Amino acid sequence: MPTVVVMDVSLSMTRPVSVEGSEEYQRKHLAIHGLTMLFEHMATNYKLEFTALVVFSSLWELMVPFTRDYNTLQEALSNMDDYDKTCLEAALLGVCNIVQQEWGAAIPCQVVLVTDGCLGIGRGSLRHSLATHNQRSENNRFPLPFPFPSKLYVMCMANLEELQSSDSLDCLERLIDLNNGEGQIFTIDGPLCLKNVQSMFGKLIDLAYTPFHAVLKCGHLTSDVQVFPRPEPFIIDEEIDPTPKAINTDLEIVGFIDIADISSPPVLSRHLVLPIALNKEGDELGPGITDDTEDENSANQIAGKIPNFCVLLHGSLKVEGMVAIVQLGPEWYGMLYSQADSKKKSNLMMSLFEPGPEPLPWLGKMAQLGPISDAKENPYGEDDNKSPFPLQPKNKRSYAQNVTVWIKPSGLQTDVQKILRNARKLPEKTQTFYKELNRLRKAALAFGFLDLLKGVADMLERECTLLPDTAHPDAAFQLTHAAQQLKVASTGTSEYTAYDHNITPLQTDFSGSSAERM
Amino acid sequence: MKIFAESHKTVFVVDHCPYMAESCRQHVEFDMLVKNRTQGIIPLAPISKSLWTCSVESSMEYCRIMYDIFPFKKLVNFIVSDSGAHVLNSWTQEDQNLQELMAALAAVGPPNPHADPECCSILHGLVTAVEALCKITEYQHEARTMLMENAERVGNRGRIICITNAKSDSHVRMLEECVQETIHEHNKLAANSDHLMQIQKCELVLIHTYPVGEDSLVSDRPKKELSSVLTSEVHSVRAGRHLATKLNVLVQQHFDLASTTITNIPMKEEQHANTSANYDVELLHHKEAHVDFIKSACLAETKRCQKERGSNKTGDNHIGGNSREGTFKETVTLKWCTPRTNSVELHYCTGAYRISPVDVNSRPSSCLTNFLLNGRSVLLEQPRKSGSKVISHMLSSHGGEIFLHVLSSSRSILEDPPSISEGCGGRVTDYRITDFGEFMRENRLTPFLEPRGSLEIPLERAKDQLEKHTRYWPMIISQTTIFNMQAVVPLASVIVKEALTDEDILNCQKTIYNLVDMERKNDPLPISTVGTRGKGPKRDEQYRIMWNELETLVRAHINNSDKHQRVLECLLACRSKPPEEEERKKRGRKREEKEDKSEKSGKDYEPDKPWQESERLKGVLDREKEELAEAEIIKDSPDSPEPPNKKPLVTMDEMPPVEKAKGPMSLLSLWSNRINTANSRKHQEFIGRLNSVNNKAELYQHLKEDNGMETTENGKGSRQ
Repeated sequence: MPTVVVMDVSLSMTRPVSVEGSEEYQRKHLAIHGLTMLFEHMATNYKLEFTALVVFSSLWELMVPFTRDYNTLQEALSNMDDYDKTCLEAALLGVCNIVQQEWGAAIPCQVVLVTDGCLGIGRGSLRHSLATHNQRSENNRFPLPFPFPSKLYVMCMANLEELQSSDSLDCLERLIDLNNGEGQIFTIDGPLCLKNVQSMFGKLIDLAYTPFHAVLKCGHLTSDVQVFPRPEPFIIDEEIDPTPKAINTDLEIVGFIDIADISSPPVLSRHLVLPIALNKEGDELGPGITDDTEDENSANQIAGKIPNFCVLLHGSLKVEGMVAIVQLGPEWYGMLYSQADSKKKSNLMMSLFEPGPEPLPWLGKMAQLGPISDAKENPYGEDDNKSPFPLQPKNKRSYAQNVTVWIKPSGLQTDVQKILRNARKLPEKTQTFYKELNRLRKAALAFGFLDLLKGVADMLERECTLLPDTAHPDAAFQLTHAAQQLKVASTGTSEYTAYDHNITPLQTDFSGSSAERM
Repeated sequence: MKIFAESHKTVFVVDHCPYMAESCRQHVEFDMLVKNRTQGIIPLAPISKSLWTCSVESSMEYCRIMYDIFPFKKLVNFIVSDSGAHVLNSWTQEDQNLQELMAALAAVGPPNPHADPECCSILHGLVTAVEALCKITEYQHEARTMLMENAERVGNRGRIICITNAKSDSHVRMLEECVQETIHEHNKLAANSDHLMQIQKCELVLIHTYPVGEDSLVSDRPKKELSSVLTSEVHSVRAGRHLATKLNVLVQQHFDLASTTITNIPMKEEQHANTSANYDVELLHHKEAHVDFIKSACLAETKRCQKERGSNKTGDNHIGGNSREGTFKETVTLKWCTPRTNSVELHYCTGAYRISPVDVNSRPSSCLTNFLLNGRSVLLEQPRKSGSKVISHMLSSHGGEIFLHVLSSSRSILEDPPSISEGCGGRVTDYRITDFGEFMRENRLTPFLEPRGSLEIPLERAKDQLEKHTRYWPMIISQTTIFNMQAVVPLASVIVKEALTDEDILNCQKTIYNLVDMERKNDPLPISTVGTRGKGPKRDEQYRIMWNELETLVRAHINNSDKHQRVLECLLACRSKPPEEEERKKRGRKREEKEDKSEKSGKDYEPDKPWQESERLKGVLDREKEELAEAEIIKDSPDSPEPPNKKPLVTMDEMPPVEKAKGPMSLLSLWSNRINTANSRKHQEFIGRLNSVNNKAELYQHLKEDNGMETTENGKGSRQ
């Protein structure tokens, strides 16, 4: 989940804060202090997160595009100028564009808005934006809710009392509401000082930037892992089941499936599964999450030499072209596979399926998947040349069952011509002729289109008269028989219109008929 | 999407009154003359469909698309109305397919134009439709049962699509009022019933259809709320293809569908097989498959409102340049990319949606669908005037169903991750990759039909099997001996099973005998010399390590069944030496222990202990301990005691003097001792004589042991 930090650099942010001690602080400094803490945390514990920095006043500017280089972000914090008034809507619009430009509309993003709770005045102020919210047209839509899945965290360089004294808090709450409730407002507890800012950002870190640790298990083979980005809780159905479901910290492999069988399934999200070495205090030494100090380097080297199940699993999945099915919770599954980033680098990746008993129709119900040793004979064949997947649905779809649709005249004409073509090749095509004839009969009966039956009967009779002299005598018999059968069906009298009834070929006896054709 | 939204239940009410037998007055030419036919034949007169035929085939088309895209949980109840209501099917899933409906419609037949119009009315059907909406579907029932006390969360909404020929606007209003009243009444009934549900929302879609060329007596009216429960809309549509088009539009609205046109499909010409022309095929699917287009259309619009900072910093905001023109049209056009042959690729797919071709029977449509049904996948590309090509979708069939997969085409947030070789365990180079591959293939999953004999859930069985198969599974080659030996495979592959057959036991025993044989022949073992200096452990030490490991493997499974226990017994009986040597060794060892507690003898036992302890205490092997233990074996092996089988006679040689040097000896005894010693170098002493007391040996000792002591110390009884 990439992060966009949106920093208010309006003049109000330069308001001084009375802190005991010699130095004079502005709210801006508190904000920078908090963000520094956030960036430091991410650099150590959440290294793979992409973060961008946007500053705004009445205009907005992308100071640092999405990066994992937290030094650059830190530097940018110290290079911020002070500008005029706060104009939040424009900034949020900017965030929309930046995120969609970079990541498209499907990737969830976290937006960390840092402001002092002074939301501007006049046009472009949040108050104004909210007041005009209902009068907007499609082209002038308020940027919230963001067009991508998002969390909006508002970090206020002000305490609750201050915000409540104006209507700022209400406005900010409306903002979260507009984002479909996705987000949260943080305020400073107690007096404005570095310590309290730290504790506020600490809460944000706890909420949104703690690494997700889990244990990957395959029977007795296990490995401690970090899953990045953090899998977010998922709501299955707002109406029936409104509680968000989170994934287990025990990721249990239940079996394996060939890549060809799982067949590019749709997934909710993708995550790196990074093995970590937990030391006794429970801190991790792992990839991408530690500082490059020498101590940790050597610790990393030791960890690198201890066999790890993730590496084994990754290697075999890659070589065999398979995925491991992993259970994430009750009725929630995902898959583990090897993902190559480049020719050299590859990684163990986990994708989450949509929660539910049957996330992929072609695998059937997940709970009904069992070990091949329980099957009477190996469903993959002795030579590994077949597969029990995909499962066939009970009913075929229309495109797989030769349905009859006569909405366009061409559909009807094609079907009639098929009959005609076969009629001219009687008796060789007797079977196909009657098959097509019965298909037409059935559809005509269902649609109550009896005139068609009459018409086709007339047509067959005409064909009969047009038969060349060289024609087999059976052809005339069959045509007459078919025409007559259609005619009785077209009367609509119940005994001839049974849907399941089929017109069968007339039993004729031209012994050795086709061989003796003239 | 909510499961129990209006789209969960659709009731079709189609008018079957006499006037529906009227012609729609749109002619169909069905007798198309084929080229090269004799001239002068007058084609048969065109025919026309009745209002009924038009209504039925349009509603069937609506159902066809719906069933294709939502084969489950979207249900249709079909009712025809004349002098009474005829319900053609039920809400059950088995009734939800075209064949059932077609058969039922055939049974009803076309309306009788001579019936008395006075007793026929669409009202019968509408009343029955409301009744049907109150009936609970199996999905609603299931959800209610599952939610127990929260059963009221399960919604009951539905839609009535009524195709009729109304007389006037006031007639339409009368129909609406009737539906509203009926809902009111039935909701009262349902409130007191366990089997019925109150209707929370009902959408009435009234379609007035009339022959082409006539004036409509009914005016269109957009959706209007008649009450908190009922909304109604009126469509006045000419019959024939206009009606079909209307229902096609409606099915898209009702089920949130969108259209994609696949363009540039190369297709062989029927007449000229070696040329191909490009065709387009239009598909319908859930509109989520276009989510990226819809949102980028918004982006394109919002972009215009974007403001820019001062001129010196505009660079950051010039982002409109490479974005595509995101105008969302009625259909989204995507270009066919001729598929490559290697289909075994895992694409990052964010959604997969069932499709239905708009024109299912046309040649281009059926060519495309057949191509896909045969197992090929087609990548679809966004048509762009310039720039690199963007693959955004894929068409693929799974088990006879075609899905439109949405592929992610935006930048990945996981790009440039640290490679797995840089992380924990990344430096280890001798993972048993091939063996684990084999393990994975053995633990592949397969679907089991639902009503299965055993009560156990198949997936739990799969987990069980993984548990069994991994009880002892060293991850790297240098951690194991037995898994590097072809000779062990027959045992290792069956011992993990839940139950063994007699044949399995036989195979295990054979394996063990075979190993004994190898040991006798002094065959080399594939013991890793990684981490040890010099040549590594000696041959006999290697065998000891191998036997220990094999014992660990077998012990991990002894609780599976008695037969597993028997394999262990066989192993314990066979491992190491002929028993007399064991015995002697034991005796010698005891003495040694008593006398000088030498490190040597102690160490002989030590490596065994961690294995067994971890077995007994935990039942399962703790991986770390295992590693520890193994490391220990390898490390201490050079100091381990001389195994007895290498120079068996030397040990014997040394012992007798100790034994007999206790009292004064005669010359004879000295002499015979010497002779005996010399002789004993030439042959192995009989067990009986060795163990004899006063030259009397006890026969069938093992009988006692078998009966008396079940588990002999380390199994070193005299049985073979």
